[in-house]
Amino acid sequence: MKDIFIQKEAVNITELLAKGASDSDGSDVVFIGRVRNNSRDKNVTLIDYEIYPEMALKELNKIADEAIEKYRLNRCIIVHRYGKVYPGETSIVIIVSTPHRAETYAGSRYIIDEIKKRVPVWKKEHYTDGSEWLSNRS
Amino acid sequence: MRVKVKLFASFKDICGFAEKELIVSEAIKVSEIVDMLIKSNREFAEKKDTLLVAVNEEYCSLNKILQEGDTIALFPPVSGG
Repeated sequence: MKDIFIQKEAVNITELLAKGASDSDGSDVVFIGRVRNNSRDKNVTLIDYEIYPEMALKELNKIADEAIEKYRLNRCIIVHRYGKVYPGETSIVIIVSTPHRAETYAGSRYIIDEIKKRVPVWKKEHYTDGSEWLSNRS
Repeated sequence: MRVKVKLFASFKDICGFAEKELIVSEAIKVSEIVDMLIKSNREFAEKKDTLLVAVNEEYCSLNKILQEGDTIALFPPVSGG
């Protein structure tokens, strides 16, 4: 089971957890990315996520397909937010399930690492005294 | 032929547009579109080494030859998650 979303709205993690859960899976790994209130000694007031929606969905689907094949994931849910996300709020949720924990942990790690390399989303951090575009390669 | 250029994040701010339609000669390469932007904007020129390219929502190299109706996206390294 694969479900990939991009959305502006807050993520309802409880609803997502119940989605497609199977009794044949012995492990779920839930990764939740949240906006921090600080970055490089600055006070972060919000992050504005810009997205290339059509391409982001394509890349997220590719990454999910790769992880499903590589780690034999039975369940793979990815939700990435865009727009304004405030400190403490969730920016991304990844839920993966398999019968055994090793593949589940590895699959979750693979997905978040690839997202940070490939999915066309950009953070603009806003501070109490200005704003700045961030790059994962900088 | 007509192609569409999309810019994202800091590139959009530097060049002052998010999307533009261009009329270009047949068999033009992505690199030639990039060179056009560089010529008109020194700040964009400084970003050339980090630039990522996609045509029709698929990553590609600067050597890709464009076709009528293609959408070229130029953007800085991503920072999602």
